[in-house]
Amino acid sequence: MTALVRFRLAGFLRTGRALAPVLAGLLTLGILYGGGRAQPAEAYGVSAVVLFPVLAWQTKILLDVEPDVQRRLALVAVGPAREQAAGLVAAVVAGLGLVATAVVFPWLVGGVAGPSLPGDRSVSAGVALGLWAHLLALPAAVALGALASRVITRSAGYGVAVLTLGTVGVLVLGFSGSVAPWLAPPLLPTARALVGPLSGSTALLLTVWALAWTAVALTGYAQARTRRA
Amino acid sequence: MWLEDVGLRYNRRGPWVLRQVKVGVAPGEAVVVLGRNGAGKSTLLQLAAGVLRPSRGRVLDRPSVVGWVPERFPADQPFTVDGYLAAMARIVGLSPITADRAVRRWVDRLGIGPFRTVRLSQLSKGTAQKVGLAQALLRPPGLLVLDEPWEGLDAAARELVPQVVDEVLADGGSVLVSDHRGETVRLPGAREWLVADGAVVERAPSDAAAVAVVELEVPVGQLPATVARLRAEGHHVLRVRGQNAPPEATRPGAGPSSEVAR
Repeated sequence: MTALVRFRLAGFLRTGRALAPVLAGLLTLGILYGGGRAQPAEAYGVSAVVLFPVLAWQTKILLDVEPDVQRRLALVAVGPAREQAAGLVAAVVAGLGLVATAVVFPWLVGGVAGPSLPGDRSVSAGVALGLWAHLLALPAAVALGALASRVITRSAGYGVAVLTLGTVGVLVLGFSGSVAPWLAPPLLPTARALVGPLSGSTALLLTVWALAWTAVALTGYAQARTRRA
Repeated sequence: MWLEDVGLRYNRRGPWVLRQVKVGVAPGEAVVVLGRNGAGKSTLLQLAAGVLRPSRGRVLDRPSVVGWVPERFPADQPFTVDGYLAAMARIVGLSPITADRAVRRWVDRLGIGPFRTVRLSQLSKGTAQKVGLAQALLRPPGLLVLDEPWEGLDAAARELVPQVVDEVLADGGSVLVSDHRGETVRLPGAREWLVADGAVVERAPSDAAAVAVVELEVPVGQLPATVARLRAEGHHVLRVRGQNAPPEATRPGAGPSSEVAR
């Protein structure tokens, strides 16, 4: 499976189509941090929200770069379960690259500041929480991107629709007072939680929530793939 | 390997492409899959290879190593021939050394050595098809599925396909080949499946049904005795042409010096 992950990452990086989501990510981060300085944890919480659609889009591009027949050849070579898993793992690895960029970026452009008031989090705590927020967003984004990929949606139009609906869902369902927050991964709740002090139970709840949402979405993906090679 | 009451449709509400297919192929057996365009040959092959899952029924005892040569090789990929085959060899689970050896072996046999560093997208159709053939053979397959393997191949490579098939059969593998251009004669002894109207039916083995015509030259004096002997041995003597008769092969029995017998 490692060989297939590497093969797909190579296919993604060599076509130049990898450039689009990276540029979109950098642009988004540039706008986000262009306004001034913020506390790291708060800034990272928002960064995870705005990068969510970029990570999902990147996943769709990575999975769609491979021709349909080549995906079927991989399926014959390693079996359906590992073929699907290899695509998702490749997308996670590519996503980790973007997450690392997002964590480092604000320090390069001076978008975040260290603690200034008593009660502010230390820099290391802020970075750790920021990393956590991004790592909650990544699996959910990969799952959404997989659901939007060509093998599932079969047309570019439906693919874009799934990405858009997923992103809008995250924003609309994520506002405080939402009627059905559980339908979306907890990106806005996480960003809100990072503004104030964060309790361990809240962190655990958010983590379980994000992973459960991802699990449901990936189950849907695997289910849909049984009828779509 | 057996297909047990296999049915397939591409959509829940779509039409059945294949229904209640009950066919099997034993180790060491080759099957030629025949049928009109769009009859479902490729679908049947992809079910056998494990690319498609049956909507109904199941596929039993599929060998663990399957080589599938798709109808069209996906050449739109950013790899060289060498890079692609090396990656595929690693993906099917070969160690780096075995992978390297397998790639070199098939590159040499298929005559794609000069294209090793060429990008897949720049290959001619025939050369790309050879890469498609090579990737299916990197591991000796227990089931080799060839979808129109002769398409776009040059004469030398055409001869290679039956050789490869024979090798797989000799190793106890099974082979499925689809063909709509009558290249089937290159695979004597293969069974034939006919795909039509969603059903797959086995045709009588081509060996028994196939007939060849042998032309003999016989001294006129021995003619009656020779004809009698051939008939006694159970051969059909189609006709006897006199020494001076015009060679009218199209209308047997027309001339006075000709005799037609069935």
